[in-house]
Amino acid sequence: MSSVSGELAGELFVWSMIAGIGVATFLIRFAPIALLARLELPAWLTRALRYVPPAVMAAIIAPPLFFADGAPTIDPNLPRIIAATLAAVVAWRTRSTLWTIVLGMLALWGLQALLG
Amino acid sequence: MPQVPSARAEFIVGMRAFAPLSMSIIPFGVVCGAAASTAGMTPLQASAMSWVIFAGSAQIAATQLFASGAPLLVIVATAAIVNLRFLMYATSLATLFRSQNRRWQALIAYLLTDQSFGLTIVHHTRHPDRQADLRWFYLGVAGATWLSWQLATIAGILLGSLVPPSWSLDFIVPLTFIAMAVPLLGDRAMQLAAAAGALASVLLILPLKLNLIGAALIGVAVGVAAEKLWVRA
Repeated sequence: MSSVSGELAGELFVWSMIAGIGVATFLIRFAPIALLARLELPAWLTRALRYVPPAVMAAIIAPPLFFADGAPTIDPNLPRIIAATLAAVVAWRTRSTLWTIVLGMLALWGLQALLG
Repeated sequence: MPQVPSARAEFIVGMRAFAPLSMSIIPFGVVCGAAASTAGMTPLQASAMSWVIFAGSAQIAATQLFASGAPLLVIVATAAIVNLRFLMYATSLATLFRSQNRRWQALIAYLLTDQSFGLTIVHHTRHPDRQADLRWFYLGVAGATWLSWQLATIAGILLGSLVPPSWSLDFIVPLTFIAMAVPLLGDRAMQLAAAAGALASVLLILPLKLNLIGAALIGVAVGVAAEKLWVRA
């Protein structure tokens, strides 16, 4: 019985999450188009928003390189760090997502085989 | 009278402009679908992520927070912050689509992505004379992006559970973000923003899984500060 209600609560959680993010995201995309024909974003905000993508992406990339699945202590994963660095060089030189993924994965598999 | 053929032509030009980008959208969509389904969402929920939210970075961030047991409000707030960049894109598009009716504006807003924004601005700069049919170009790009994204997500949901974890395919997530982030790092302020975001995400210990929000805000603050210092120097 508790697992049934737990499952229901889990379903509700996920749907609330999807709906909440969906509404927030739509409003962020829609409000400027609907309202800003008249007003403008302040210059400081426009400037700050430029830095959201690099800051967010770096903050998503880094933690899995330094933490094992959910563990609280720093534990550098050497094959992943080296493969990610190599992938960054590939991304810089080729500007290609596909090459970055292909060479990054091959590097990771090679390093895992070498370093255990 | 020539309005209909030129609308259709612009729509097709838009779909063609998207084609090279499909090479980066499709793997990312597959990863998003696979991650959501591995995190314990049902196939319906995992695909709803893609058509209700339709924003890959936010979907990945939300999926990771969901898997780690973060509270609902933190997940929603984090995804909203990841998506704040759309404010910037939408503001820039607002001047181009100011004369459209509400329904078109809502459609344009729902379909807004990094790709549709970037390609539309480039197209408009090259062909300012085609402003009248710009919405059709946009719809061509954004419609193709949307369809690729949905199909890729479904493929990820179906394939995700078949691949054993020993293949480390979860590593495609950081690789995709590396491919997207590295080309942005053209100037020193952007590089410092990324470095600060990465460092803070590893070192910052915040309750309730607020790390990503904290790290993002620190990265943005460092970028803005660096820009001020360099502009003044």
